[in-house]
Amino acid sequence: MSVLQGMLLGILYYLGNSSIVAGPIGYYTIYRPLIGGFLTGLILGDPVTGLIVGATINLMYIGFISAGGALPGDMCLAGILGSALAITGGLDTEAALAIAVPIGLIGTLLWFGRLTLDSFFAHLADKFVEDGKPEKVWIADVLLPQLMLFFMTAIPCFLAAYFGASYIEGAINALGGTVLGVMIIIGGMMPALGIGLTLIYIFKGEARVFFFMGFLLAVYFGLSMIAIGFLALCCAIVYTQLKNVRGGEVNV
Amino acid sequence: MSDQVKKETNKLTDKEVRRSWITWLFNNQANYNYERMMGTGFMHSMVPIAKKLYKDDVEKQKEMLKRHAGFFNCEPCLGSSITGLTVAMEEQKAAGGDIDGEAITSIKTGLMGPISGIGDSVIQGVIVPLLLAFAIDMASTGNMAAPIIYALIMIAVVFGISYSLFMMGYKKGSDAILKLLENGIINKIISGANIMGCMVLGALVANYVSMSCGIQISQSVESVFNVQEQLFDAIIPKLLPLLMTLSCYQMLKKGLSSVKVLLVIVAVGIIGGMTGILG
Repeated sequence: MSVLQGMLLGILYYLGNSSIVAGPIGYYTIYRPLIGGFLTGLILGDPVTGLIVGATINLMYIGFISAGGALPGDMCLAGILGSALAITGGLDTEAALAIAVPIGLIGTLLWFGRLTLDSFFAHLADKFVEDGKPEKVWIADVLLPQLMLFFMTAIPCFLAAYFGASYIEGAINALGGTVLGVMIIIGGMMPALGIGLTLIYIFKGEARVFFFMGFLLAVYFGLSMIAIGFLALCCAIVYTQLKNVRGGEVNV
Repeated sequence: MSDQVKKETNKLTDKEVRRSWITWLFNNQANYNYERMMGTGFMHSMVPIAKKLYKDDVEKQKEMLKRHAGFFNCEPCLGSSITGLTVAMEEQKAAGGDIDGEAITSIKTGLMGPISGIGDSVIQGVIVPLLLAFAIDMASTGNMAAPIIYALIMIAVVFGISYSLFMMGYKKGSDAILKLLENGIINKIISGANIMGCMVLGALVANYVSMSCGIQISQSVESVFNVQEQLFDAIIPKLLPLLMTLSCYQMLKKGLSSVKVLLVIVAVGIIGGMTGILG
């Protein structure tokens, strides 16, 4: 990895966290490992690997709800560093996932730091209003907090990507086959947690049986996700219509 | 500047209203902080409104902006309806309508909770996971159209919801928002979406959680009973991933934090991998 590539990854991580990519748009796109991994791959010259690893890492965070008690992890950092290390270290996707998730946990420290320090700028905004200079509020709301965020995110990500990349291959080789095998087993199971976190929100009442239906359709018929998605849409419509005909709740 | 042309009327034009929306869309979390969450962002989006409504009265500008400097936290896409509504209420107040500052604040903060509840469960709980499930499935074969399609759909969804709800809040007021929240259609869509989400997640378990039993029992010198192939694969091939997912769900539901569940997975992986039970 060149210094320039490392710096670009740092900037990518900043953009994923930043509000300058149209607020929620950045949060729903660059912040997701699916997109972040793909862009990481583009920067490092291997978009396909970046995309595949990023997509797998994203499975862990598929039901990520920032407001609720979902997995406290920084999926953006996990996606960028996980796919960067997979590309530079030649890691398996599952092993990259097993490394990425702890990275994501460390990344939440940046989030806490940012939300704590940002309180200062809220008072600065008050001061601009108090002085009768509302046109300056943007300095306190956007310019300064975003500058701070840039230094808080881009630099650690650059350092981790640049130096991590030079050591990852040696470290993996030193760990040996058994450790790598265990990491692959762990990484393979991890999406169960990501899916479990989403189930908390939707695995309710009458909808439960459809979870098993989707599972069986995939296992026995090998249908693609898109095919199951359309079938699921039809099932949902038919079910809602039938429920209306009977005119009431069918509580199970 | 068009400001000078309309100096006599302080009514808002499309220009300020749109500016307020754009400011909200971009900056609601620009200065996200523990003290007031999106408070600074909310106040920022009121700046173009205050400057227009009280063009010649700096004190009134101050009074209005201070009112919006406090705590605010809401799901930002659906929450833009509150921002739009606040613009309408401030405009009404500036025109001498009988609405006081406290009423504006209490309506604003009162809507925050219910709108976040719906917004988080619809957007982050249903739309995003469903789109991601399809995109991840496409992407796992290296299809580069997947991230692009996903991103384009998300951009359309966020812009569409944010803009139309801002304008609805601004033009139709709180009654319209409350009616939308109470409307049975939303509940029907949520329950339908739950069904769809459950089915897609079930398929995700089958395709993306991998776990297999490595136990092999030697029956005689030549024949070995492979538990995974000859027992699980013969009945339900992905039984272990299904059980693992349901166990994670149960642990989370019992109140275990996700980090603890993660540690359980790591422990199972280490024990299972070292002993050869998993493989």
